[in-house]
Amino acid sequence: MKISKQLRTDITGYLFIGPNIIVFLLFTIIPIIFSFVISFSNWDYTQGFSNINFNNGMNYINMWKDEWFTKSLINTVVYSITLVPITVFLALVISVLVDKYVIGKTPVKLALFMPYISNIVAISIVWVVMYSPYGPITQFLKSIGIKNPPQWVGDYHWALPGIIIMSIWAGIGYAVLIYTSSIQSLPEELYEAAQLDGASGLQQFTKITIPLLSPTTFFLITTTLIGSFQVFGQIYIMTKGGPGTSTHVLVYYIYTSAFTFFKMGYAASMSWILFIILFVVTIVQWKFQDKWVNY
Amino acid sequence: MKKTKLIAMILTVAMSLSLFAGCGAKSQVKSQDATKKETITLKLWGGVPSEYGPQEVVDNFNKEFKDKGIQVEYTRFVNDGQGNLKLDTGLLSGGDLDLYMSYGMDTLSKRATGKMAMDLTSFIDKDKFDMVKNFGDAIKNYNINGKTYAVPETLTNSGILINKDMFDAAGLAVPTSWTYDEFRAIAKKLTKGEGQDKTYGMFFNTVQQANYAASFIGSSLGGDPYYKAGGKESNFDNIAFEKNLQLTSDMMNVDKSAVSHIDTATQKLTIEGLFLSGKAAMSLGVWSTRSIKDTVKFPHTFMTAYAPFPTVDKEPAKYTVGGLGDLLSINPKSKYTQEAWDFIKWYSEKGSLPMAKYGRVPASKNVDKAAVLKASTQGAEKLLDSKSFETIMVKSYTNYGVPTITNKSAELSKVFNEECEAVLTQQKTAKQAMQSSKKRADALLKQ
Repeated sequence: MKISKQLRTDITGYLFIGPNIIVFLLFTIIPIIFSFVISFSNWDYTQGFSNINFNNGMNYINMWKDEWFTKSLINTVVYSITLVPITVFLALVISVLVDKYVIGKTPVKLALFMPYISNIVAISIVWVVMYSPYGPITQFLKSIGIKNPPQWVGDYHWALPGIIIMSIWAGIGYAVLIYTSSIQSLPEELYEAAQLDGASGLQQFTKITIPLLSPTTFFLITTTLIGSFQVFGQIYIMTKGGPGTSTHVLVYYIYTSAFTFFKMGYAASMSWILFIILFVVTIVQWKFQDKWVNY
Repeated sequence: MKKTKLIAMILTVAMSLSLFAGCGAKSQVKSQDATKKETITLKLWGGVPSEYGPQEVVDNFNKEFKDKGIQVEYTRFVNDGQGNLKLDTGLLSGGDLDLYMSYGMDTLSKRATGKMAMDLTSFIDKDKFDMVKNFGDAIKNYNINGKTYAVPETLTNSGILINKDMFDAAGLAVPTSWTYDEFRAIAKKLTKGEGQDKTYGMFFNTVQQANYAASFIGSSLGGDPYYKAGGKESNFDNIAFEKNLQLTSDMMNVDKSAVSHIDTATQKLTIEGLFLSGKAAMSLGVWSTRSIKDTVKFPHTFMTAYAPFPTVDKEPAKYTVGGLGDLLSINPKSKYTQEAWDFIKWYSEKGSLPMAKYGRVPASKNVDKAAVLKASTQGAEKLLDSKSFETIMVKSYTNYGVPTITNKSAELSKVFNEECEAVLTQQKTAKQAMQSSKKRADALLKQ
């Protein structure tokens, strides 16, 4: 009697999670395994499944000689290294300011969060107009006296900074939201004690706020880094990797290899390299967290 | 306790069953179709917006073939990377597609080798549909591995659009042959004004790709300009590339008689916005005939004339840039391949005339050229110069440059595009760009 009841409970449980597991298997696990398998092959998918030619990992060796791949990797690293610290630091400053000095907190937080939930395609199209020679940004720069403002998405040196600026604007809302909720849970007594001891606002910020928020900072740095390595939408809409290869990023090259050059196996191998890079970076960060994160 | 458990079980079963309900419904409808002789609706996919010819074609066909039980429905896809990807996905998944257009030999080759286009040889032989008689000798270059995978429906001649009113005002005749230097001088002469009021001599329409400006090269290098014979080595060391790139860059950056590439790309400028508004005296993009005739969306009063591409020097062009296009194929997974072939036959023999109204010249020799010219200029006698339109667009030539090599064409195009961008934005000289192109392309072809 006892066993059959347990069995019944188990089966009920499995039936409930069944649909989710099946979908997860079909659309996530199996494609991941498949992608790993074909990353060792040369596969033009328009020729059908029979055309999978295994080339024993030559993809992984050849990609380092491919200048498009190396340039994409460099661009992606530059993009991330610039975007992550600026986003996290700006978000921290904004959150502290909003918490301390702003009266209507909720509408302000909502306004800051809106870009994050907006569709990246819509944002990209709007920013293309913003960056155009007759658009608001260029006009503003001219009005404050800069004679030759950059051409932004048409300029070799300013296209990537332009995308970074736009991405920071779009992504900062999420960090601000996380920070403001963390700040609200900070103990007031510490600040009062510091004030009594004569600490200035800035000292309170650096000696109390930042260390106490270090777990949140760690979380945000890790997740923002992982997200920024996968930038694609803005590049595809605004510059298509151009001018030249100045905004060519890793995921954009994976897309181009798969759907323009029809090299699905090569694209899969690059995706796995992206995974390995992010995995290693995250492990390194995890190991280092003891040094600076206070729980 | 027992009751809630029972309800939970019933709900779970109901939810799982709903997953299968979708499959069941479809098979019911299919069996109904098979029982009676229903009208078959063929699905045709093309890149031209339906109001510019295709809808009229489809309506004519539907009227004529109503009692034979065949109807056609047209769906438009945008002829860019995404649109073609959508079409390819539809074909690969065996979708609801019977007929479709390919706009280039590289796209058709991909579909033919990928079993997404049907081999039409059996239909051609059965109906004795003489391809050479209908389309000329050039048709032999459009076979893939000796087989026919598509029937071409238009002549894709190309040239330069000319604002005839501006030429008349400057005392210039519409050119019938000209060199790069003469072309450059004319563009300079026709450039006036500054800033927002500026009229340019030439608009290269590089908004999608910087290498679009290199369209001229086809007249000296033919249909496979990127390759040397055999397709194993790139042809970027040919002086024609350097000269063409230098010309375009000089016109954009030195003379400033052509709209710069940066302006075109950052402001997303178009032929309709520049040429049809009178801001540019000349332009690339003869496919825009349909926009020229649309005076509601693009009001203008000047007459457009057509000129051939300029040549590097006084020697006449070896090739005519153009050929057979709008390649109509049948989806091998279609259930109605015979009916689809009937449509193709009808379209090639007489059905494509309405497309001429919007500048798509039918390729078939069975269609009367005079009727084509009349349909093209109909309603736009003051907007289209009949004589030059006939010479450049309607006339069928024998020396078309047909693309036959497609080895890594997408990669080579990308390399060339990047190098073009570098030259047009003055990061490199034309000479450096072509040397770099050759090195990179050869490395890619060796892989």
